[in-house]
Amino acid sequence: MNQYAIKLENINKSFDIEKSKNKSEFARLFSNKTKLSVLDNISLKIKKGEFIGIIGRNGSGKTTLLRVMSGIYTPDSGRIHIDGVVAPLLHIGTGFHKELNAKENIIMSGLLLGMKKSEIEQKVSDVIRYAELEKYSQMPLKHYSTGMRARLAFSLVLQIDPDILLVDEILSVGDKKFRDKSFKAFLSFKKKNKTVVLVTHNLGNQFLKMVDRAVLMDNGKIVLIGNPDEVVRKYTEYQDNKN
Amino acid sequence: MLLYFALINIKIRFKGTKLGVAWTAIEPTLTFVLLFVVFTTIRDQPKENFGVYLLTGVIIYHVFTRGTLGGLTSLRSNYSILESINIQKEFFPVVATLATCILLIVQLAIFFGLMPFFQFIPTWTIILLPIVIGLLMLLILGFSYILSIIHVYVRDIQPLWGITVHALFFITPIIWYVDDIKGNDLGNVLMSLHAVNPIGQIVELAHNIVVFNTIPPLSDWLYTVTFCFAIFLFGYYVFHKFDSKIVEVL
Repeated sequence: MNQYAIKLENINKSFDIEKSKNKSEFARLFSNKTKLSVLDNISLKIKKGEFIGIIGRNGSGKTTLLRVMSGIYTPDSGRIHIDGVVAPLLHIGTGFHKELNAKENIIMSGLLLGMKKSEIEQKVSDVIRYAELEKYSQMPLKHYSTGMRARLAFSLVLQIDPDILLVDEILSVGDKKFRDKSFKAFLSFKKKNKTVVLVTHNLGNQFLKMVDRAVLMDNGKIVLIGNPDEVVRKYTEYQDNKN
Repeated sequence: MLLYFALINIKIRFKGTKLGVAWTAIEPTLTFVLLFVVFTTIRDQPKENFGVYLLTGVIIYHVFTRGTLGGLTSLRSNYSILESINIQKEFFPVVATLATCILLIVQLAIFFGLMPFFQFIPTWTIILLPIVIGLLMLLILGFSYILSIIHVYVRDIQPLWGITVHALFFITPIIWYVDDIKGNDLGNVLMSLHAVNPIGQIVELAHNIVVFNTIPPLSDWLYTVTFCFAIFLFGYYVFHKFDSKIVEVL
């Protein structure tokens, strides 16, 4: 049996950026682009059931790495192996449509994440109850607060019960009650031997306390992988030196 | 799954309007009434079955216009999904085309509902209409592939396509007859444009089987089928050539 949930081998990713910022939209169409490297030869193996925390400064490549893992970005080179059902929770309101209500969005996102319609319909009320949005279930999402949308997204992902969960910082927008609830949900994920990859730049994040290994990124490269306390200490030193 | 998303697409498309999906019927009907009144007034003796002729062209043109415009915006309008979930990008132009196909049912009901008003009874040749509708959908999907991917890179394609479909209205045999324009210089220009206008070819096939009760020659069918498949395959190729960078560019 394959022991790895995620295997990244020599992943490179760059974005096209304009050489000059002062050009009109029309001129940009025909202008020369330059490449900005955002992931530089990344190799990482994540075992099944492992809880990984990725930390680093803004712009270090954390979110891009998560998007490459989830298949949203195609890497320029390198190989990706994913073993299991992946649920990405990459930004607030994952795949939600603001004109639709909670139920419609749950069904829509559930279908996109690979569930059957009959299966999702059975879970709609559970998702809404867990997110504590019963009173607002008929309201279009455009009237929801950021925290309410994050709660709905997280609640939906829990009901999908994926093998691999990729989370990008979004839990920090919820209130304390929601964060505590999410913390418990992650614990139950761990108990069920699920794989979680959590991206954060907040060292005070309580979720870091439960990670098995931490990854420190800087300038699109992995600087250090190892014990969370050691990586966090290194990150603090790193930031102090840069400042 | 496709059907659910097509229904959601329709719901969002008419969100905020008071009459909702009824606009699918009202819009081509009002266009038809307006053109019918104008052309039966300026022509002393309109041709036999002009009403059905005009209605056939208006509905096909309207379906093509709305379908391609819906397809054009299909990627940009679903950006929040594309940046969150790994999904086949072509899902969205396909869903937009399926939504157009569902709305066509409403328009066909109007079409057949108005036939008694013109005291028109179609003959057996109308059984070929599903083939024409199939070609129309293939054409819309092909254009949706091309336009949606261009729209990701160049937003100007949206107003540009709006102008293009206006021009298509005049070079498509909706308010004029193919037989009437042959022989003069302007007519020859129009015929040359008609020959490379795929929607014009589809409208002509539909006129033959619905209004003139004739089966078009096999060469006409082959020409239109080849044309529609060529656009579909070209669209499919172009879309897949550039679809890997959609999320980054958006």
